[in-house]
Amino acid sequence: MATGSSTLLELLQHPAFWRGRSGARVETRPTGFAALDAGLPGGGWPEAGLTEILTPRHGLGELRLLLPLLAQSSQAVTPRWTSGIAPPFEPYAPALAEQGVAVARQIVVRTETPLWAMEQALRSGACAIVLGWARRAQPRSVRRLQLATERGRCCGFLFRALSSARESSPAMLRLLYEPTERGCRVRLLKSRGGTRDSIELAWGERSAQPDSLSQGDGAA
Amino acid sequence: MARRERAASERRALLAALTQHSLPLDAPRPVSLPQPAPVLQRVPAPAADSAGRVTAAELWAVVHLPTLILDALPSSRQLPCAVVELQSGVQRVIAVDAAARAQGVMPGCSLAVALALCRSLEVRPRAPRRERHLLLQLAEAALSFTPRVSLDLPDALLLEVRGSLALFGGVEALLAALAARTAALGLTSQLALAPTPRAALALSRLGMSPVPVVMNPERLVGVLAPLPLAVLRWPAERLARLESMGVRTIGEALRLPRAGFAKRFGRDALATLDQLVGRVAELRVPFSAREWFRARCEPAYELSEHTTVLRYLQPLLDDLERYLRRRQQAVTELQLRLRHRAAMAVPASTTVVLRLAATQLDAAALAALLAEHLARVELPAPVIRIELRSGALQPLHAETPSLWRAGEHGGAAGRESTTLIEQLRARLGPDAVYGLCLVPEHRPEKAWAIAEPDLAAPQSLPAVGRHLRRPLWLLRQPEWLQHGLQGLTLLEGPECIETGWWDGGDVTRDYYVARDAAGAQLWIFRERNAPRAWRLQGVFG
Repeated sequence: MATGSSTLLELLQHPAFWRGRSGARVETRPTGFAALDAGLPGGGWPEAGLTEILTPRHGLGELRLLLPLLAQSSQAVTPRWTSGIAPPFEPYAPALAEQGVAVARQIVVRTETPLWAMEQALRSGACAIVLGWARRAQPRSVRRLQLATERGRCCGFLFRALSSARESSPAMLRLLYEPTERGCRVRLLKSRGGTRDSIELAWGERSAQPDSLSQGDGAA
Repeated sequence: MARRERAASERRALLAALTQHSLPLDAPRPVSLPQPAPVLQRVPAPAADSAGRVTAAELWAVVHLPTLILDALPSSRQLPCAVVELQSGVQRVIAVDAAARAQGVMPGCSLAVALALCRSLEVRPRAPRRERHLLLQLAEAALSFTPRVSLDLPDALLLEVRGSLALFGGVEALLAALAARTAALGLTSQLALAPTPRAALALSRLGMSPVPVVMNPERLVGVLAPLPLAVLRWPAERLARLESMGVRTIGEALRLPRAGFAKRFGRDALATLDQLVGRVAELRVPFSAREWFRARCEPAYELSEHTTVLRYLQPLLDDLERYLRRRQQAVTELQLRLRHRAAMAVPASTTVVLRLAATQLDAAALAALLAEHLARVELPAPVIRIELRSGALQPLHAETPSLWRAGEHGGAAGRESTTLIEQLRARLGPDAVYGLCLVPEHRPEKAWAIAEPDLAAPQSLPAVGRHLRRPLWLLRQPEWLQHGLQGLTLLEGPECIETGWWDGGDVTRDYYVARDAAGAQLWIFRERNAPRAWRLQGVFG
């Protein structure tokens, strides 16, 4: 009954079908970490959606999680910005370049109103990736950000404090990031159709990615 | 004093001679004047047809505004009045009206002397912006006589009218129309007509009546020869030297040997004389009327809310877009002025200036940007009038928008990339948005720099410091570690950086990677020199 099963598979491909955890189909971009790809719905970061990353504090290595994505976006044929909205420190251009990130495509926005600036950047369509740091964010404004990512077809990342884990959030994906001895632990707080497991990553471990990335493993 | 009187009497005699010779306006032409005295250099023969009439030569009319300084004053002035200007530390009178002149106040005297001569003198500062504005207004009016108009700052306007004579019915009619147009602007004028711009300027400055008209270039030298050299407005020092040589008129100057004249007074003085008599053509900067958009709206009631101001602004912006579209032009600057109800301690108006990175004409986009600017401005009082004025108009470069939205199916970010930056800067200020670039440097804090965001900038990797362990985050200033290494575990190091001795910013540091209690990896260093304190420079984010 080969034909029958293939019809069934075709049917199951239909986006209207909801089959629990693997049903939601979203366009994604690979994270560069095999274990993380396996755990995230669709196998990567959402192509057009907001991801919240909750960290105990800034500078614990959470940016390394996104480095493969930034490097991959730098090689896109059609250039778009990567914006950092109100980053806690100065992004260090030599280190970014070393990791294969195109420095010329980065813009930094210094502002007291990061959510507004982030919404503009997400919605404009001029940015491929927007990273935002906000101490406080109302669910309503997070929802605006989520809608803006869909409109601007943009990868949005919002870094927030651990305390906001208790609040509900309209973001497409929520991660809780903790550093460990050799890498980090990522707990999925919310994912559309994904797991709720925690994923251990070691910084040495990457999926098969461009050479430029594996060179820099020891660094940053 | 004796010398001044002598000069004045000479000038009077000269003027009398000139007025005798120059023809009244309704006299038949060509103007017949006494044959010129032999001059050193003959004027080259102009292009003439078989009948001997000049055909293709230029003919310049000059409108000289002798009382422009006074005319530019606010109309509420009282008599007698003098305008003063600070010249080398002394307030000097530069213009006086007839009443003050009657009391003996002359241009050039100091303010103290003027006040001593006339106690009721009203002293005004000069208004150079208004003078210029009046002259530009006149220049725009003059464009209806001829397309070739040129300004001669500060107080004259030149018109090339050879081609316009037939249309306006001859020289007299043209000059009369020009005088009437000037008078309509409230300006006193002295006119002159001559084949070269400089000759016309020189003739106009004498203020002769009837209007001096020289149609034939052959006669030009003869008319100019008796004029005092002062009409050329040469520097006083040059005039004094010429006078000490006994040279007081243009004719006498023309008779001097060319080589010696150039050596004593410079090539440009000789060039001026050549241009005066038409031996060398003078190139003049043409005046072209500047175009801009200006609109105002007076709402029926006073506006105190930003949103209502924006609502009243919208029709003005729509007008602007239509105006620009018709001309296929766009703006890069827009000025919005909100007039306030007059009240104590409130400025008369609030001005918002919008500057754009790329040309724009879309009313919706401009409204969005103006709204951002306005949101940052606090209105001190209700608005009674809205005025919108564009900067210079720029040619519109049409762009084909992409079929896909940016990012959709790999669509490129075209206009959006600059629009986003403009929009962010409009609200957050110009310094709030910046790009990054690499600098080939070993000192970590100098290995990067702020750059103007440019997507098209070439990608380059730093020549120095490749494959070294560098943090993703850098602190603006290295911070002192208050407790030294307490609570930190050194993971790697040391990496010594010792450089920069050539520019005074030399560093001698040992860099380490350390981990703190929370698990963050820090980039710290210790100065090799005293006080050998530990400092934190970066975070491996």
